[in-house]
Amino acid sequence: MPTGLFGLNPWLDGVIRLLIIVGLMTVVAMGLIYIERKVLGRFHARIGPQRTGPFGLLQSVADALKLVGKEDLRPRNADPWTFEFGPYLVFIPIFLGFVVSPFMAGFTVRVLDLGILYFVAVSSVSIVGWVMAGWGSDNRYAMIGGMRAAAQAISYELPFVLSLLSVSMLAGTLNINEIVEAQTSVPNIVWQPLAFIIFFIAALAELNRPPFDIPVGESEVVGGPFVEYSGIRWSMFFLGEYASLFIMSILISALFLGGYEWPFGTQLGIGWQLVLTVIKASMLIFLIIWVRASVPRLRIDQLMGYAWKILLPLSLLQVLVNGFVLVYDLPKLLLTAAGLGGVFLLVWLTEHAITRPRESRATAAATAATLQSEAAS
Amino acid sequence: MRGIAKSMLTTLSVFLRPPVTRDYPNFHKPLPERDRAFPLLLWDKDIDEPFCTGCHACERACPVECMTVLMKDNPNHRSVGGSSTRRKIIDKFWIDYARCMRCNICVEVCNFDAIAMNNTWSGHETSVYDRKDLVMDLQQLTTQSHSGAIKEWVPVLGQANES
Repeated sequence: MPTGLFGLNPWLDGVIRLLIIVGLMTVVAMGLIYIERKVLGRFHARIGPQRTGPFGLLQSVADALKLVGKEDLRPRNADPWTFEFGPYLVFIPIFLGFVVSPFMAGFTVRVLDLGILYFVAVSSVSIVGWVMAGWGSDNRYAMIGGMRAAAQAISYELPFVLSLLSVSMLAGTLNINEIVEAQTSVPNIVWQPLAFIIFFIAALAELNRPPFDIPVGESEVVGGPFVEYSGIRWSMFFLGEYASLFIMSILISALFLGGYEWPFGTQLGIGWQLVLTVIKASMLIFLIIWVRASVPRLRIDQLMGYAWKILLPLSLLQVLVNGFVLVYDLPKLLLTAAGLGGVFLLVWLTEHAITRPRESRATAAATAATLQSEAAS
Repeated sequence: MRGIAKSMLTTLSVFLRPPVTRDYPNFHKPLPERDRAFPLLLWDKDIDEPFCTGCHACERACPVECMTVLMKDNPNHRSVGGSSTRRKIIDKFWIDYARCMRCNICVEVCNFDAIAMNNTWSGHETSVYDRKDLVMDLQQLTTQSHSGAIKEWVPVLGQANES
């Protein structure tokens, strides 16, 4: 029987850990909303929230209170069960993702041997919730948003998992804490720059963050699956979004930036390890917000094409190179070289995809005519 | 890709600059001299009476009819032993700020340069709880000029108005 955290009986211990997670998640999500609004404000040369409390710090609290106070509406045509349970299916998997998030040595909720597998499995469940919300709302925008969310998640899951796989190949384990502890001297980003970039891009897509926010794109599908939601249910989606942003950045910092281990090693006190992890995660969150402020939203065909034609082959290539290097015991620097080459390839391919000349109008019309005649015959 | 890098750099440079938004109620941006808020009456400090003679020119020109002007014989006129050259002077003057549309016509038509647009923040922050409180009487209209709260460019008698 596993011993409890505070030397308590395991059930009580479990309850305490869960309560810590719930509290942490809410506070972190509200803090992130505030930080995002402030940072995004600076990116837009604005100030951001400032009138609620000192420096607008209580803005998220006010928003949360307002959302809790709102009426929980359900459209008459909505499917009651799918509509009501959609938000939970989005929220709970994210909540479960906290179980393996490595904040500091020995203070994970549960150190799982198949931590990465568990995380990937659990985090993709929330897509079911998105589709349920889209389907249950009986709204075309919500439906399209839900389908888009599903399509995007399925496409980006592959490069996401493959780049995770290349990291775990390097460490020889799927246990997240062991991967972190294998990075004492050099963080994984040095050996796997390509996997890091692919993982970062795929994580943006998994989080539905801009530029991959087509499921919730306000100018296209007016908020996607959330259209019909209000009050507490809507705030669950919102909270889940920011909580998953937090978990994802913790995970990236653990897997690629050395988490609590690099550069000071495990000797560092527990509290400082937490600080180190949070600093790394905040840098990533800043990067994500920065990308949001800079890059316009992709079109759906560009989005799918980018996942299947560019990211997936490159991540497969990364896995292949990793295999060769590890099986034949080649020098590890080869990994860095191959990774950097892969990054250049990625940049070149993206540049190529962006600057590719468009199909001329005449050709497009000819193609359309051919297709029409084919359809008529 | 070059475009993405460029856009990231652009946003970063914006991020590093201070925001252009001002924290308005706590920070009042200096107003330009020719800022045009609501009309005010000016005070002739040499003789210590308003410039306005109550000639009704502004009242007649006002497109929204927000003014009411009443004139009287100047008790301070030379003929009765006073120091002023104004035979007539303003008796009562009301401007309904709720109606005024700040068109500046009253300032243009005034023969005595007696009326001017307020160019201070007090002319903009006029919110009240009752609409009636927006009808300003003579005393309210002249206080600011009397106390010297109005700044330079407001035309004063003898000074070139506009070239």
